[in-house]
Amino acid sequence: MTGAELVFVPLGAVALGSSVLVVTTDQLVRAALWLVVALGALAGCFLLLAAELVAWVQVLIYVGAVVVLLLFGIMLTRAPIGRSVDLDSGNRVAALVVALGTAGTLVTVVVGGFRTASIDLGDGSAGSAGTVGAGLFRYWVLPFELLSVLLLAALVGAIVLSRRDIGPRARDGGED
Amino acid sequence: MRFYGKGILTGLAVTLRAMTRRAVTRQYPEVRPDLPPRSRGVIALLEENCTSCMLCARECPDWCIYIESHKETLPPATEGGRERSRNVLDRFAIDFSLCMYCGICIEVCPFDALFWTPEFEYAEHDIAELTHERDVLREWMWTVPPPPALDPGAERPKEVVDALRAAAEGRPA
Amino acid sequence: MTVAGVLDVVLRLVLVVGAFLLLPLLVGQLEHKAMAHMQSRVGPMYAGGFHGWAQLVADGVKFVQKEHVVPTAADRTVFSLAPAVALLPYLLVLAAVPVGPGLVAVDLPAGLFFALAVLSVSVLGSIMAGWSSANKYALLGGMRTAAQLLAYELPLVLAGSSVVMAAGTLSLSGIVLAWRPWWLVWQAAAAVVFFVSGLAELARPPFDMPLADSEIVLGPLTEYTGLRFALFMLAEYAGIVVLCALTAVLFLGGWRGPFGDASLGPIWLLAKIFLLAFVVIWVRVSTPRLRSDQLQRLAWLVLVPMSLGQLALTGVVKVVTS
Repeated sequence: MTGAELVFVPLGAVALGSSVLVVTTDQLVRAALWLVVALGALAGCFLLLAAELVAWVQVLIYVGAVVVLLLFGIMLTRAPIGRSVDLDSGNRVAALVVALGTAGTLVTVVVGGFRTASIDLGDGSAGSAGTVGAGLFRYWVLPFELLSVLLLAALVGAIVLSRRDIGPRARDGGED
Repeated sequence: MRFYGKGILTGLAVTLRAMTRRAVTRQYPEVRPDLPPRSRGVIALLEENCTSCMLCARECPDWCIYIESHKETLPPATEGGRERSRNVLDRFAIDFSLCMYCGICIEVCPFDALFWTPEFEYAEHDIAELTHERDVLREWMWTVPPPPALDPGAERPKEVVDALRAAAEGRPA
Repeated sequence: MTVAGVLDVVLRLVLVVGAFLLLPLLVGQLEHKAMAHMQSRVGPMYAGGFHGWAQLVADGVKFVQKEHVVPTAADRTVFSLAPAVALLPYLLVLAAVPVGPGLVAVDLPAGLFFALAVLSVSVLGSIMAGWSSANKYALLGGMRTAAQLLAYELPLVLAGSSVVMAAGTLSLSGIVLAWRPWWLVWQAAAAVVFFVSGLAELARPPFDMPLADSEIVLGPLTEYTGLRFALFMLAEYAGIVVLCALTAVLFLGGWRGPFGDASLGPIWLLAKIFLLAFVVIWVRVSTPRLRSDQLQRLAWLVLVPMSLGQLALTGVVKVVTS
């Protein structure tokens, strides 16, 4: 085992353990903070796989923006310190089944798709910004643009939903 | 013409200009403050002028002046004259922990026995020490600044005029 | 690894930690004195003898002596972790700043993204502090921090991307090498956007609504005492140093100066950092605090369009000149 592998295993364990804690802890805000740990450990894994850009973008977007948004939302509604007894869901078993099923499917698909493929991490250029950028804009440009359109649609939808003053005109026109 | 950010630039210019000027801070313990002569620091007593008339103690709004005196009889100045009696001051004290520095005592004193002085460094650890007895009040007299100069062309003070006239007539003022 | 290699790493780390501990104090002292003189005062004059140079050392000693108070209702673990989460990212970023030609503690190929990513983690410390204090002012401050971060993260990253496009590299040392003096004009808008959004991320006045000592005590820091409070203060000044260093590296040419780049590099960089730190202090003294609607308006209606325009300009110029 190389040094990188030695670090990779505990990092993966941290990511897994903290993700389990995210869903099992009965303290609402701490769940979000465990998510930070999980995402950070995941970024560490990316880093060890020489995917430097993806690792930093992961921290920037997920830890820096998504979790902050999450925390903001939690604090805006309710953010009790300590245990919340009503946080447990009755659908525990169903959720577990769905989660395990999804994980199983994903692992099967990934393993099936890349069974023999391997990337040489030797000089660390496999995950550099240049390689990722070239791949993204040469070979995967269509999915990338489709994702942009999807995000744009989501943005427009959010604006339409949140702005009351641009809703449909009242049908009878009597009172406005 | 209005443009975006003009207010911010003006504000920045003001602070920068302030930085180039000398600070107005007084370096008090190192450098004595230059107080105007009429500053109300502490009240001094010229006890030679005091007749124990009690006017100041009575006018004091917060009753911080303590006066004790007794009467003495003097032998008649001329043969067969009347005996004279006068008040002798036993105690004159101002409690500066009560005093509110209104200066009414100084205003009402008919004999010019009380004066303002700009001295202000008489803080104490014990509040009782803030009651200045007559000897302390007498010591403050040395710090009383001379009265401010008269305006040019003003008429002479009455006592000066009297003294000059007395000197001219060759009699004691 | 050879002995020389180990020594090299140790020396680099010691230098970075030393700069991390010293530079914020210098900026703090600069703030004390510059702010005082801008307000026609003289500032601290006694500690250390000469013009109060040791004031912050004295402050540090005072903070160490003070009691650690943790509110009864607080979440102890998160409460104690928050100062470290706020402070450590700045140390990491400082290690990635190139100080001279080939002189950088850790040279990362995606240095800019590393810096921006780690900086955004630091703000998490304020939010954690705000929530875990069990204090309504602290919670309000934490929410304001979060709202402000969400609004200003985007222009910050966009402005940084503009330089990356111009230089054609994400590495901070690469950007300094690619930098040319005329970029001062070309990237001026990006520089302004980057600096202003950086100020907002640090919650420095006029963007200090999360702290707002005259309305919500001290926001997330309300319940902190002693050394933990000192760590937050250190984080604030370390943040100023990091923001100024990043701005200098990205937009002002980093260690490059009018002459003697090879030998005087670190001095040019320090000069630029302190010049920018002075601007940070100057702006603090001169401007009143922004309201929350003004904050959001500035971010979304001024800074984001400005940075998008800059991106377009950078792209056009890049294509035309290449």
